[in-house]
Amino acid sequence: MLLFIPTLLGLTVIVFVLIHIGGTNKLLAMYLSPRLTGAARQQIIAELDQKFHFNDPIYIQYFYWLAQIFQGNWGITNTPIFSGPVTQAIELFFPNTLMLTIFAAILIWLISIPLGVHTAVNRDKPSDNVIRVGSLTFYAMPWYLIGIILIIIFAVWLKILPINGTVNPSLVADLSWYHNGISYPTHILLIDALIHGNLVVAGNAFLHLIMPSVTLALGVMAALVRLMRGTMLETLDQDFVNFARAKGVPEKVVINLHAKNNALLPVITNFGYLVAGLLGGVVVIEDVFSYPGIGMWLTDAMINNDMGGIMGGTLLFGIILVVTSLALDLIYAKIDPRIRY
Amino acid sequence: MESDQLKSNLAPIVKVENFHLHYYTRRGVYKALNGVNLEIRKGEVLGIAGESGCGKSTLGRAIMGLIPRNAAVVDGRILINGRDYLKPLKDYYKNTKKFKPSKNADVLKKVNNEMSKIRGQEISMVFQEPMTTLNPLLQVGYQIAEVLLYHSPGLLASRRLSRSRAKKEDTKALVKILNENGPNEKFREYLKEKNIMGLEDQILAIWRRKDLHDLKKEQMIEKLCCEPINSFAKNYLETIEKENKLPNFSKIPIFGRIVKRELIKEGYKKASEFLGLLGIPNSDKMVYMYPHELSGGQRQRIVIATAMINSPQLVILDEPTSALDVTIQAQILELIKELKESINSSYMFISHDLSVLAEVSDRIAIMYAGQVVEVGNKDAIFDQPKHPYTQMLMEAIPTIEAHELKGIKGEVPDMRNPPKGCMFRDRCPYAMPICAEKRPDLIKVGEDHYVSCFLYEGGKS
Ligand SMILES: Nc1ncnc2c1ncn2[C@@H]1O[C@H](COP(=O)(O)OP(=O)(O)OP(=O)(O)O)[C@@H](O)[C@H]1O
Ligand code: SF4
Ligand SMILES: [Mg+2]
Repeated sequence: MLLFIPTLLGLTVIVFVLIHIGGTNKLLAMYLSPRLTGAARQQIIAELDQKFHFNDPIYIQYFYWLAQIFQGNWGITNTPIFSGPVTQAIELFFPNTLMLTIFAAILIWLISIPLGVHTAVNRDKPSDNVIRVGSLTFYAMPWYLIGIILIIIFAVWLKILPINGTVNPSLVADLSWYHNGISYPTHILLIDALIHGNLVVAGNAFLHLIMPSVTLALGVMAALVRLMRGTMLETLDQDFVNFARAKGVPEKVVINLHAKNNALLPVITNFGYLVAGLLGGVVVIEDVFSYPGIGMWLTDAMINNDMGGIMGGTLLFGIILVVTSLALDLIYAKIDPRIRY
Repeated sequence: MESDQLKSNLAPIVKVENFHLHYYTRRGVYKALNGVNLEIRKGEVLGIAGESGCGKSTLGRAIMGLIPRNAAVVDGRILINGRDYLKPLKDYYKNTKKFKPSKNADVLKKVNNEMSKIRGQEISMVFQEPMTTLNPLLQVGYQIAEVLLYHSPGLLASRRLSRSRAKKEDTKALVKILNENGPNEKFREYLKEKNIMGLEDQILAIWRRKDLHDLKKEQMIEKLCCEPINSFAKNYLETIEKENKLPNFSKIPIFGRIVKRELIKEGYKKASEFLGLLGIPNSDKMVYMYPHELSGGQRQRIVIATAMINSPQLVILDEPTSALDVTIQAQILELIKELKESINSSYMFISHDLSVLAEVSDRIAIMYAGQVVEVGNKDAIFDQPKHPYTQMLMEAIPTIEAHELKGIKGEVPDMRNPPKGCMFRDRCPYAMPICAEKRPDLIKVGEDHYVSCFLYEGGKS
């Protein structure tokens, strides 16, 4: 249970090693604005040396660096869309991404679990084959291709969904809680609009959320459908499922209570990997839909070789994964009485 | 007169006639059952013995209708109280050019739907492996209560309602009647008169306990009253009590849950009473446990209780003791024997341990390669085995540890390509030319004693 603390520390070690593969300069690059020159630059370097002890052995440096990370000093980022402290970039961009990912994760869960159950129960029938081939097709397609197909269908042909950004700019032009593409206080436009009671903006923000999250969901859903189908097939063969039938429990209850809940256990364990897949996808999808989230900022950071952004993103994604798996462990323990702490 | 009664007692609950079942696998078609003929009569224990892989479990499960999707019902029928539930599966097989598990599964769904009405009610089954028979995510009380919920919701409703209808003076009066006369007609009349019939088994479960002092029992019985009930739930429970049918819970959104919860809660109570009657200590706590908190022996008791709680006409026990260690085995056998005394069911007891069968059975059927090769009264089978295979089994008993059916020379035929004639021919010391040509039928060789072997055809015995 408390295993997540060493995991987090291990993560910081890896990030630290990554930074240092290129020597001290990389660490400096994370904390030093390239725009500084001359004496000012020298002075900042001296200050950084005070904090990071560049001349100490590397394993000592690690602890100084870790102390800075814990204090929220994650370096600075310098990209066309944002320059300033990494933590501030995260604070501004991450909420949108979180919204997108959670929305996609919910979609994935609500769609793939029933599909997995359905395909297992109707194994080898036409609907099983169609769903399996369909979901594998999406799985094999790169994200941007799915995105573009959806854009062509829903935005170009049917003209029912917007493709770009988080909101129609004319709607938010003179709102007091929206400046420079960022809404306040949560920075998630949909929620902020609801907080301020502006249903028109909220509805519009929701429409903007649909295509990116559907794209994100379609790209990874196949993995979950497949997994659920597999564990369900296995569970349907178990003695306790047959025993439930032998008791005269109606088939519907056998499937939805006895088989499904047991088949869900391995799926929950593996949902973490799926979230990892989602985070990878977010970077691409935000780019395709010009959605102002962490992915857009990180793409920019990579293009501009911005060390602060790259390492900050790595650390953030790592933390998210650890926290997700912790949450999944808790959920698992809630469902499975065999797990106790 | 006497013989008439005997006959009706012996009327079969299950009749298996020329039943054939094949498993379709990637490696070929396994002909698991090749013309089984068998009947299970009222009130008897029929033992089934045979080597591993001869189709004992397949037969037991087929009677229950627990047939996997890759299994084809090729021929014959299984009548349960005269009804052939597997007919649609046979019809599918007969009318199709190429057997497809997915199509078979469609038919199976219908069979499952039909059979779920009698499973757990008229027939039920105990599996071999108690560690995997119970659902790990559900409390054992729930798993027992489920049987009652789907088959006798009326009983659960009436139990609950009777506690709300009964007044303090009613339970006091009932205790008095019990103390004077025991649970006789007067006791039942009183219950009926006050419309509290649901109290009957609750009171008797306490009354019959041996671990309690009389005063304590009286107190407990007197407490079975005056339990208030939500008036909305009451209306539904009254309908359920009358019709003994579950309402469509999805049609009564929020209150459906309340009603269902009341029924399940009552099911836990009844489950705990029943476990108590089986002599299981701490049954009131045990129903709230999960399977992993119980030992193998305890789990098997739960499984047996689940199978028996509705007093089914037939219980199929598929090697119920094989996975347990010896002392626990003895206890479980004892439990089964006690149940046999108290509940008037029939049993099909599958085992490869002849000494166990000798202890519990009335009749014994010997299976070989998917057929019943000999069947008769226990004594006839043990004292005058007719079939060469049975004779070899009997000779093997004393020399083999734990009496397992292993020490017979030779191989079972490959069930993908069974021989045309007698299945036992390759291992039979008496094989004759005719044995290679056709299969012997089951013929009568003694009082209620049948064997399928050419040695006995033509009236020899
Ligand atoms: N689902 C299945 N698919 C394919 N073959 C099966 C299946 N179930 C059983 N069989 C095969 O059918 C044959 C009979 O199996 P069954 O389990 O009925 O034997 P058994 O007499 O109960 O043996 P045991 O004493 O080992 O329990 C075996 O050869 C087995 O491999
Ligand atoms: S029929 Fe023939 S081969 Fe079969 S058991 Fe009898 S004698 Fe042996
Ligand atoms: Mg078996």
